[in-house]
Amino acid sequence: MRTGIFFCQVEDGKSLNIDKIAKYAANLPGVETVQILGMKPRLNAQTLCDLIKNNQLERIVIAGDMPGYYKPVFTKAMAMAGCNTDEVRLASFQEHGAQGEVALDRAKATVACANMAVPFALVATPTRNPVNHSTLVIGAGIAGIQASLEIANAGKHVYLVEQTGTIGGHMAMFDKTFPTLDCAACILTPKMVYVGQHEMIHLLTNSKVTEVSGKPGAYRIKIRQRARHVDVDSCVACNLCSEVCPVKVESEFDSKISFRKAIYIPFPQAVPNAYLVDGENCTFILTEGQKCGVCLKKCPKECINLNEPDKDMDIEVGNIIITTGYELLDVGKIEQYGYGKYPNVLTSLEFERLTNSSGSTGGRIVTKTKQVNKKTGKEEWSFTPDGIPPHNVAIIHCVGSRNKKYNSYCSRVCCMYSLKFAHLIKEKIPNVNCYEFYIDMRAFGKGYEEFAERIKHEGTFIIRGQTAKVEMANEQMIVHGEDIMNDKMVQFKVDMVILAVGLVPAPGTEYLSRILGITRDSDGWFSELDYNGNPTETERGGIYVAGMCQGPKDIPDTVAQASAVAAGVLGSITSGKGIGHLSSVSLSDIEARAKIIHTL
Amino acid sequence: MAIRINPRFIDDLNRYGAEDVQLCYHCGDCTAVCTHSDEIFNFPRKSMRRLQMGLERKIETTLEPWLCYYCGTCSDQCPREADPGETMMSLRRWLISRYDFTGIARQFFKSIVTEILAVIGIALLTGLFLFYYGYTQGSITVYDGDGAFLPSSFIHKFDLLVGLVLAVFLIINAFRMWYFIMIKGTSFNIPWWLYIKYIFTLPWHFLTQKRYAECEIKNEAKIHMPWIVHLGLMLGYVIMLLLVMVFIEKLQYGPEIDWRVHIFGYLATVGLVIGTIYFIRNRFNKTKYVQYKKSHSTDWVFITMLFFIVLTGIAQHVFHRTGLLELANYIYIIHLMFVVPWLLRMPFSKWSHLVYRPLAMYLAAIQRDVITKREVISESLSISVK
Repeated sequence: MRTGIFFCQVEDGKSLNIDKIAKYAANLPGVETVQILGMKPRLNAQTLCDLIKNNQLERIVIAGDMPGYYKPVFTKAMAMAGCNTDEVRLASFQEHGAQGEVALDRAKATVACANMAVPFALVATPTRNPVNHSTLVIGAGIAGIQASLEIANAGKHVYLVEQTGTIGGHMAMFDKTFPTLDCAACILTPKMVYVGQHEMIHLLTNSKVTEVSGKPGAYRIKIRQRARHVDVDSCVACNLCSEVCPVKVESEFDSKISFRKAIYIPFPQAVPNAYLVDGENCTFILTEGQKCGVCLKKCPKECINLNEPDKDMDIEVGNIIITTGYELLDVGKIEQYGYGKYPNVLTSLEFERLTNSSGSTGGRIVTKTKQVNKKTGKEEWSFTPDGIPPHNVAIIHCVGSRNKKYNSYCSRVCCMYSLKFAHLIKEKIPNVNCYEFYIDMRAFGKGYEEFAERIKHEGTFIIRGQTAKVEMANEQMIVHGEDIMNDKMVQFKVDMVILAVGLVPAPGTEYLSRILGITRDSDGWFSELDYNGNPTETERGGIYVAGMCQGPKDIPDTVAQASAVAAGVLGSITSGKGIGHLSSVSLSDIEARAKIIHTL
Repeated sequence: MAIRINPRFIDDLNRYGAEDVQLCYHCGDCTAVCTHSDEIFNFPRKSMRRLQMGLERKIETTLEPWLCYYCGTCSDQCPREADPGETMMSLRRWLISRYDFTGIARQFFKSIVTEILAVIGIALLTGLFLFYYGYTQGSITVYDGDGAFLPSSFIHKFDLLVGLVLAVFLIINAFRMWYFIMIKGTSFNIPWWLYIKYIFTLPWHFLTQKRYAECEIKNEAKIHMPWIVHLGLMLGYVIMLLLVMVFIEKLQYGPEIDWRVHIFGYLATVGLVIGTIYFIRNRFNKTKYVQYKKSHSTDWVFITMLFFIVLTGIAQHVFHRTGLLELANYIYIIHLMFVVPWLLRMPFSKWSHLVYRPLAMYLAAIQRDVITKREVISESLSISVK
């Protein structure tokens, strides 16, 4: 059949090389003419009709991002030329996923299919691989824990890989959850213990995924497990080793507001409930056994082995779930709030650890006290249980969020946790003045608006308008802002400032996206396949995302998404159909199959 | 009371330079960070709001845009990059066009072509007139004394004429500004003696530009360069204007010029040269100060013309002193061809803030006085009610 192929671009197709596709199209069987009409062409049915007549075209293929847009004019031209109007075929690049690495081949394939009048979807069916029944979960926060438990409870094997020494993630650091003010640990720790004891979950703490190969349904993973130096099975967490350890390091789990030893347990409810050695700070390991080693002598169970090497292991899994979560934006670069400059300016996570009853002050909210370091003679500010409680606290929303210089997106949870902070402060300190500076109150979930109203009625001063800066005058912090509702400039003397810092993807996100071959959006979060219809799958088959690593979300949404991921994974395992993915289908496959269908 | 809204106001202001007003989401950062913003006059957020709402009449009758000296801190810190500083600047341009009763300023701000054509037209007219005058009554080779090409007594009269036109426009515009702000925009009565009480603010702000210096305190710099240079430039051209308008006959007479005139002339020239070079450099090199990042076409016309006026003025002086009288006469005409349109352009351009700024400070001081008193009274009333 004599075919004319017309390229009509709607968007600026920088990602696609139209000339290459046109060259390919010119060599397809039956193609009479190939024309590139350019960006948003203004077409005239009469000239097209002449073109059809001159070339004696019997079929038209419109190729482009949105070829349907030009179908009416071509149909009209075909009718005017007296041809069969059904023979206007579309080759839609966008619709058939011509994006990313496969863009060019996919675009060529759509053109080839349209040329042979074969529906693309009929041809481009991936071959399905049998699925390995094991699943890999990367990141053991609440999302990873929830997904692992769902899958393991269905009787399938799960490898749960966690970078730090304990599972639990950020939720383990929290005191209360909004809006119900449930104790976070009461929800999380039973799940953590369950994970630790579950026969179908292989827990790999202190571990990192280093290499991924294979195809959907059969991924081969290399995992590097850093030496824990403590035997998990025999350690009874008696704390004797930690007592004698001479090395003091800022505790990551406590958001660096308190100190831990080089041999430590992140928090008392850690799973696995065993100590671990920080190889980067342990004197014995750094001096290669020359110095220290007191913990070895002290341990009653003799479970410490400071010479333990790192382990590499290879596993095979069918599906991979990424639940790597987030971290806080580096708030030190937002200078106007004086973080790092004034001692009592805290980030949200620091405050979360301060108010947590397992924190360094036992849950008392206090301001930092000055102490002179005897060794260096420098002044140091730290939280002590007998510190002075603040009388005035300012909580500043949207620090680094919705800000074109830092994160242009809304971090979604800050409004609510800030309100929760106000409640906790009001609850713990009598007669405290709490000021919330907000731009827009985003109370978007079930019960959230009611929670916001409740906090207002508790007597927190909720001020619309962002604080412009925090200043120090005579040892007194002053926050400057504009009260927009009352049309006033406000200055408050405060003892503590809490910054509701925006969220950014966890530091390993970029690395993971590279080794797994999945894309991230412009803000760095993992891209899902379809925001509305397919929020957990990625463009690579058998790899899923859940929780914060896909975009900021609160705990209920994270847990819901984690469960949804588990459903997808279990479906792929139990359906017996195997996993296939379009990315595995090559251009030559599509061509060959299209030919077969065409001849039928 | 009905409030008129102009829904296209924000688009209109686009032409004056404010492009990103719509981005503002009212966090209040800009107002809180501003040195000059206080309880009574708070800006720029409020102005942004009024702009977004299209309250043209409201903005027309406010003083806020004149209280801003564009230090750029608000634009620096704006999370939406809505550029409140530039918006205030654009509002000042718009206000100038509102105060101007002829509507010429509006045309100049909106179209660079109109402005350039007007400038060239007036320059050519001036040039032709001066040539005609010079050739009919003098010789090109004579600079001063009898038979001079352009005798200073004639130039003196010519200057005074231009000055008179300038003064008429400026006084009417200043009067309109007063009317907009104190009559249309003020809902309370202002006692007449307050006008006398605060009259000192006029020369004070005119000569010191104190508030501009306050602006720079924010940047924690020891030397407030933009303020010093701006003050130098302003004083330079005011002195030069006075010399030219009043003492021109002494300035041009023979080889023995009165040293007092001489000193002032040189001082003013130094201020003008440094000022123009500094501002041109900053407008090219956009990285250093936020306030020079965006340049409206009128800014360029102003500064380049001033630069050429200074250049030709110096050249004319040099040729005159070195005895190249014919050349001096030609340069003199070119100089005047720049000066006349530049001066006549003044009431219709940003240059007129020379008048509006001190006037705004003056009116603001009066308003502030009244408002504080009223607030004290209303507060005491509310206490007694309780």
